[in-house]
Amino acid sequence: MLDFFTIFSKGGLVLWCFQGVNGSFTGPVNALIRSVILQERSGSNLFIHDALSMKYKLDNEFELVFVVGFQKILTLTYVDKFLDDVQLRFRDRYKNQLEQKGAMKLLNGSFQFQDDFQQLLREAEESTKACAPAPMKTFMQSQKSQKTVKSMIETRGGEKGKEKESNKKSKNAKKEASAAEGDGDSTRGGTQSGLPKKSSPKPQENGNEGLTPEEIKRNQQEFFRRMGGGGPKKPSSSSSSKSPKPEKLQRVKGNREWVMGGTNTKELDYSNKDMNGSQDTLPATKDNAEDLKQLGQMKGDLRSVDYESSEEEEEDEEVVVSAAAAANPSKSSSKSFRGVFGMLKGLVGSKSLSQEDMEPVLDKLRDHLIAKNVAADIASKLCESVAKKLEGKVMGTFTTVTSTVKQALQDSLVQILQPKRRVDILRDVMEARAQRRPFVVTFCGVNGVGKSTNLAKISFWLIENGFSVLIAACDTFRAGAVEQLRTHQRRLNSMHPPEENGGRPRVQLYEKGYGKDAAGIAMEAIAYARSHSFDVVLVDTAGRMQDNAPLMVALAKLIAVNMPDLVLFVGEALVGNEAVDQLVKFNQALADHSMSDKPRIIDGIVLTKFDTIDDKVGAAISMTYITGQPIVFVGTGQTYSDLRSLNARAVVSALMKA
Amino acid sequence: MEAAVFQPFLDSIQKELQAQDPAVLAVLVALVVVIISIIFMKIVWGRKTTRSAVLLVGLCDSGKTLIFSRLLSGKFKKTQTSITDSSAIYNVKSEKVTSQTKGRGFTLIDLPGHESLRPQFVERFKSAARAVVFVVDSAVFQKELRDVAEFLYSLLTDAEIVKNAPALVVTCNKQDITMAKSAKVIQQQLEKELNTLRVTRSAALSTQDGSTAGGTVYLGKKGKDFEFSQLPMKVEFVECSAKGYKAEDGEADIEQLEKCLARIS
Repeated sequence: MLDFFTIFSKGGLVLWCFQGVNGSFTGPVNALIRSVILQERSGSNLFIHDALSMKYKLDNEFELVFVVGFQKILTLTYVDKFLDDVQLRFRDRYKNQLEQKGAMKLLNGSFQFQDDFQQLLREAEESTKACAPAPMKTFMQSQKSQKTVKSMIETRGGEKGKEKESNKKSKNAKKEASAAEGDGDSTRGGTQSGLPKKSSPKPQENGNEGLTPEEIKRNQQEFFRRMGGGGPKKPSSSSSSKSPKPEKLQRVKGNREWVMGGTNTKELDYSNKDMNGSQDTLPATKDNAEDLKQLGQMKGDLRSVDYESSEEEEEDEEVVVSAAAAANPSKSSSKSFRGVFGMLKGLVGSKSLSQEDMEPVLDKLRDHLIAKNVAADIASKLCESVAKKLEGKVMGTFTTVTSTVKQALQDSLVQILQPKRRVDILRDVMEARAQRRPFVVTFCGVNGVGKSTNLAKISFWLIENGFSVLIAACDTFRAGAVEQLRTHQRRLNSMHPPEENGGRPRVQLYEKGYGKDAAGIAMEAIAYARSHSFDVVLVDTAGRMQDNAPLMVALAKLIAVNMPDLVLFVGEALVGNEAVDQLVKFNQALADHSMSDKPRIIDGIVLTKFDTIDDKVGAAISMTYITGQPIVFVGTGQTYSDLRSLNARAVVSALMKA
Repeated sequence: MEAAVFQPFLDSIQKELQAQDPAVLAVLVALVVVIISIIFMKIVWGRKTTRSAVLLVGLCDSGKTLIFSRLLSGKFKKTQTSITDSSAIYNVKSEKVTSQTKGRGFTLIDLPGHESLRPQFVERFKSAARAVVFVVDSAVFQKELRDVAEFLYSLLTDAEIVKNAPALVVTCNKQDITMAKSAKVIQQQLEKELNTLRVTRSAALSTQDGSTAGGTVYLGKKGKDFEFSQLPMKVEFVECSAKGYKAEDGEADIEQLEKCLARIS
């Protein structure tokens, strides 16, 4: 029944394996490790990969992993208990070899576990056969056949209510009742047999559940009143519902008075003043002075987000401090007298961690994370995963539960924030330049997160490093979107004048006005860039809510048709639980509407408005946890040089700071 | 003769002790204690900083754990992606077993290659590294070239590694696969790629004041193309096949690597 069962050490050596079917299982197990254990999703212990479902168990004392795999379509009930049994048996048998520090014993030891395994498997399978689902009882065995008919007849007192009940009870026997009515006989058993004489004046009410006509009329009127006259038109009831309507239409809407708007539309036309014959650059005025100050600051790789209080030495202090403060957690969970001894016992000697020990600490840490703006269910998943990782682990001397759990949580947070693939945009752009094609980046996100602003910052960074940029204005909906990008283009060009670049402006804007199809504009922009050899194309899309289905389809079409090199989701750092919803729905929409085998989903995240949160940096964790993609840029302000890369350690230390 | 030199010294000390000035006594005692503790600390810390580890690093799936197993026990073991490090004492195999070479060993540490674990493990073990064995998967090298180069760049520009300058052995693994590149080709490609990376990564050194992503070291010499010979540490390129050219249980071809390790220690 089982496809395979492996036991391997956390260092990667397979100690023992059982293969029920031919074919290597290294791939699926590696997928399990990478997506579950390394991404801190070990809360639930089931993982499905292609047609295989895998259950696993971590043994943290001896650093082992037990994995069992079976076909997805099977539902085997004994697997969990079986895993536990195998783990206990393996540990007991090979305790000496596993206890050694250092891998020599693992390498040299041979783990002949076959017989034990087969025996345990047989026991597990037999136990399921033993508790097969019970067969259904026959009617004769049930209690109902023991009762007499008379005992089930309702008494006459409170006729209406009881008849209603009995009518309700025997809804299936309605046909019987009407048939019995027709016959006028009461030969069949059941509740209706005693009733036909009483219910003969009310056969038509059987369908109405025993209500009188007056009651029916009253209910109908109430219903129509609530519906506002939307029900079937009955002259008696509709007149009452129509009366409130005409009152609503009394208010007449007057025209709104705009303060700044004149009646003359010529005043509203701003186009001529700035566009003197397709001028792409602003003349150098005093407004440019501030911009020019930023010139030359963005060469090379981005600086990382820095925190004044980010010190990696904080972690060492924590151990000392928490030893002194260890009295608090232990005292809260037990009586004060025992608490003192508990603290001492916890400090010295080796104790293995259990779920109960970690519970209070994890609860506090979960609340702390939520207070720091991490999404609520992600905080709880993280804490579960840390609990799974630490269960059964033996603590060294002079370490408390709090410090161990905090350290483990910190490690897993750093691990989540580390990018799982190489993030080097400049190198990829150079590669694309060598292949003579433009590097296409698409920005998507909900309304108002800073897509256009950060697009301008990224183009400043790119032109500082010597690339030429084409901005595609695919936001054809929002008023002023194209003009905004044009203003950015002019400012950027004034800082890096075209004379530097052999007469060609560094940044150009490709726009087709408003109301057109965004995907078409993007395709034309990319073709234009290829023919005029631009290095990078930055595609700005309109902001859209993740629930807006037609807009999500349009975005998916834009990305599927144009196949950009990088799809960046722009999210603001202020968002809380909403981040989870946004990212999940965006990814879902991109995957569903792409009509290809390998849909393009979000490749990276731009975290904006980072300067508005001082240390409530939880949104970074939520976003990377949900997508598994790295945070590529961090926006820290509204000027062109406010662009940084993510420093995982600094963010985690800000997060864990009390 | 020394006794004669010390004699007046001892006389003066004796006189002062007899004078029974508690302040002087206290100062003397304190000085002695401080000197002893300084010597003690130096010994303890000195022992810690002896670098006696050889690190096995590389990208995910490059074959580090299998090389680890082969070096230590010669056996072939199935492996999975490592989640944590493994370490063991490795005794150098050499042809001549003299009194000098016998028992010379160092700790071999196998670090996980997965991208999210790599930085923290390298951070933990880099100060103890006497040599770094960088394992490269020669078969898929062309596809992974940029990732390999980035990892190598981050290692070579790390401040502590530049200070200690451990020997670097770039092991081109998986030579048993027919499409595997040779060590020479890999060396040339890495040099070219690192040349480009220098430009993209370190051009902003003069204007940065915050914490930088990479180290503050410029690889090689400015103005000239990057070559491994320009580095302060010894760099060697070897080929090996941890799996072996024959069936699964056959011998592995790691002789060059073993010779390298013998030379290092």
